[in-house]
Amino acid sequence: MSDTPNGGAVQAPALAATNESTNRTPQAPSRDQNVTAAIPEESSKLSPAELKKRAKAEKQARRAQAKSAGPSSNQEKAHPPKEGKQQKDQKAAKDPKQGAKDDKSKALPVRRRPSQPNPPAPKEIKKETKKEQKPATGIFFGHLYNQPRQHSVVGASKEVHPAVLALGLQYSSYIVCGSTARMVSMLLVFKAVIQSYQTPQGTSLARHLTSHHLSPQIDYLRSCRPLSISQGNAIRWLKDIIIKIDPSTPEFDAKRELLEEIDNFILHRITVADKLIADNAAEKIKPQDVILTYASSSIVEKTLLQAHEKGIPFSVIVVDSKPLFEGKRLAQTLAKHGIPVKYSLVSGIAHAVKDVSKVFLGAHAMLSNGRLYSRVGTALVSMLAFSRDIPVIVLCESVKFTERVALDSIVGNELAPAEEILSQTERAALLPLKAHIPCRPNADSKDGEEAEAGTGEVISWFKDVENLQMLQVLYDVTPAEYIKMVITEYGSLPPSSVPVVHRMSTNI
Amino acid sequence: MPQGAVAATPGLQSFIKSLKSTPVEPSIEHLISLLKRRQIRSSRPCAIATAALLLRVVGEVRGRDAGKLLRRIREVGKRLTAAQPREVVVGNIVRRVLGLVREVTEDNADTDTNANSEMSHSFHAQHDSLHRPQLSSSISTFSPLKNAVTEPLDTNLHQSDISESAEPAKRPSLQTSHTSYAQSTPMIGSLFGLFSHPDTPSTASTPTGFQSPAGKDSSITALNLDRLADLSTSKVDLKAEVLDGIRELQDELEQSDDLIAANALDHIHSNEIILTHTASTTVQKFLLAAARKRKFTVVHAEAYPNDHTATHATVLTGKKRYDENDDAEDQWKPLTAAGITVVLIPDSHVFAIMSRVNKVILATHTVLANGGLVAAAGAHMIAKAAKVHQTPVVVVSGVYKLSPVYPFDVDELIEYGDAGNIVPYEDGDFVDKVDVDNPLYDYVPADLVDLYITNLGGHAPSYLYRIVADHYRAEDITL
Repeated sequence: MSDTPNGGAVQAPALAATNESTNRTPQAPSRDQNVTAAIPEESSKLSPAELKKRAKAEKQARRAQAKSAGPSSNQEKAHPPKEGKQQKDQKAAKDPKQGAKDDKSKALPVRRRPSQPNPPAPKEIKKETKKEQKPATGIFFGHLYNQPRQHSVVGASKEVHPAVLALGLQYSSYIVCGSTARMVSMLLVFKAVIQSYQTPQGTSLARHLTSHHLSPQIDYLRSCRPLSISQGNAIRWLKDIIIKIDPSTPEFDAKRELLEEIDNFILHRITVADKLIADNAAEKIKPQDVILTYASSSIVEKTLLQAHEKGIPFSVIVVDSKPLFEGKRLAQTLAKHGIPVKYSLVSGIAHAVKDVSKVFLGAHAMLSNGRLYSRVGTALVSMLAFSRDIPVIVLCESVKFTERVALDSIVGNELAPAEEILSQTERAALLPLKAHIPCRPNADSKDGEEAEAGTGEVISWFKDVENLQMLQVLYDVTPAEYIKMVITEYGSLPPSSVPVVHRMSTNI
Repeated sequence: MPQGAVAATPGLQSFIKSLKSTPVEPSIEHLISLLKRRQIRSSRPCAIATAALLLRVVGEVRGRDAGKLLRRIREVGKRLTAAQPREVVVGNIVRRVLGLVREVTEDNADTDTNANSEMSHSFHAQHDSLHRPQLSSSISTFSPLKNAVTEPLDTNLHQSDISESAEPAKRPSLQTSHTSYAQSTPMIGSLFGLFSHPDTPSTASTPTGFQSPAGKDSSITALNLDRLADLSTSKVDLKAEVLDGIRELQDELEQSDDLIAANALDHIHSNEIILTHTASTTVQKFLLAAARKRKFTVVHAEAYPNDHTATHATVLTGKKRYDENDDAEDQWKPLTAAGITVVLIPDSHVFAIMSRVNKVILATHTVLANGGLVAAAGAHMIAKAAKVHQTPVVVVSGVYKLSPVYPFDVDELIEYGDAGNIVPYEDGDFVDKVDVDNPLYDYVPADLVDLYITNLGGHAPSYLYRIVADHYRAEDITL
């Protein structure tokens, strides 16, 4: 898409790219060639050069210098601000999958990748290369490592609405976390997006809005953090609504109608549903119950508070795990309301589960084979509760139901950055080991290393070890037999009824 | 090492060092305070320290009176276990040394009475059953120990104040067929019978033994008198033999990891994915031994929040902690340096990963007589997750961690740690209102374990009671 418009300019960056990527994967040059295929004479020069990288690199360096006469020290900087757009292409070319895909998907990386030309670029590039190496060694989740992750607004396409930019940042830093919260915040932001939308001449809102205005926003959000099941469901619903708008409707009316629909959706599928579920689930809490919950779920919190308001005396055990420690906030909220709360980490779960009478769990999604897809560690909690015959009750709005099925937690999952496995304090605790870290080729200058910030250095120890990987995923899949009951706004049902409810809720 | 540095980091190293120069009694106090302050913790350091201390204690005991020696060891052992009852290994080592003393005295009595005409046969019969069998050698089917481990042990465990004479007093009733004096007296437990004969009022009232020599003399039967005389005149130096025995025990402590590691190739094949948990030298050596021949993948759960630093250290450097001076002698290398892919995961990922894991290898804190074990917190959920995924769980443990304790009340064995490891105390608002639980250990029931590998080889969990019986004397089970 954007390759062709600035086709003339493409050559220089492509060359610069290959020049810089000589140490990258060997396929990189051939992919560059793909991009520059629009200019035949360029590609013909490149293909023989593939074999002799060095010679090619020199040639390209010369050519690049000649082409972009202005910044002569072009290729040394690797990311001159002027060449932002061109570097996009280079980046797009780097990713094999995206290069191979159809036009639309090819456009995506172009929109979100141009972060390179800016100051934080070196870091970004580093990450990219790491991600590229991983699949070779990532034994379990190798297939997930090509999911991009973006932690800045830098280089987002200009089509992305500022509110979406802000939200994306909140996603990637886990400020907005939890599938309900992410879905609601997304819909609210989309309201602002739709409000600021103007249908261009010669097309209709129903045709144009989804593909040209909403999809960049969605793509940006996805680049910040993979979309949750609930978000996917909401987006599908929204697109459906937009398509159904009569093209003859005036733009103002159509937009107002859409905004109302979104408000209704949030009201019906979340607000009211939550209330129904909380009403229903609070009934399940009997006096002297000990309720165990894992991590944090808004609906579980609502239920517990509601039961507490009814005056039922019960206590709660919040089990939590690193790195997000979501349960901390939940424990604090519950304690503030006067509920006796015990807090334990997942390693102590075998003890925590001993005197529990019920387990309440939130869900990221309910899969169609009745399995629960939720925060990693949920399966452990359910397993131990099941082995002690403690009922495991899942509270889940039907908007989180999906037709997807999964047998294990490996195939579909979301990868969290591996560095997050080590918190600052953990890194600091490792500092005394410095003298014992096996010598690395680049670790000769000890004094230079000491000058580095301590905790940042620790993470580099881990990264430098060749065979060492740190793995962190966000979800796991709980087998259906561990779950006694799923409480939804349609009522309480066994996990086997999930596909039925999903059909019901999508048909309405 | 300058004295100042030793004082700065009290622990196993400083204790061993100070042991050479300090008199025995202050050394005992030193170890007790170290145990109480958890400055020596976890099984191996505790075992090493206890063995080293007992070596001093035995060396210091004057005279060749076996009873005095037993009483002294027992008294020290009581004080040590009271200091830190959950470090079961301390008691294990004390019991092993007690058994050693008994064995030496019995051997002596045996050789001396061998010449005696009619007694020799019955003594032999008795020794066959009571004598600690060498490792896994077969033992006669008639064994009072077998009963002792399964039954009397249990009752005694929770009535720790019960007099030690109660057990021997009960014992003769177990074998109803034997009524002759010659056979029932040895059943009281060879030399042990000397000092805790049920008939003597003095021993019954003072089990730890501050008996006057007169009281002892009065209790001695004709036979016992005979044996005691034999013993005191015997050429064998009791003390030297016991000291040798303790040194052997120390060697065993040192070598057990290597002996365990020798089994590694029988259990790990190429391209396996092995899950392990927390930092353990035994597991590390086990995996390293396998890594010399085979390539596999290790998934390492980090045991947050108590042992994660040690785990990270193990992953990075191959060793979980560093003392000032011991890293020079043995070169450690991490598994990654041996070409093994190591994947570090948080504990919560265990279930998600388990479907891809071929084998779980667990380290342990203590192994109990019923085949269950006490291990770092999180071990239970890992073993359970392995069970539901039909993944074999292998526990590697030195025999010194095997304890005759039977877990009636599991909670008794579990130590709770600093809640500040989970939520820092700076977070006053939180700590104020919420109970924070930080168990250090998990009890893993025997049915979740598929195999134990000790320095003696591999065993089924159901067989462990037998190994316990081989290593501890029924008389010593209650210290």
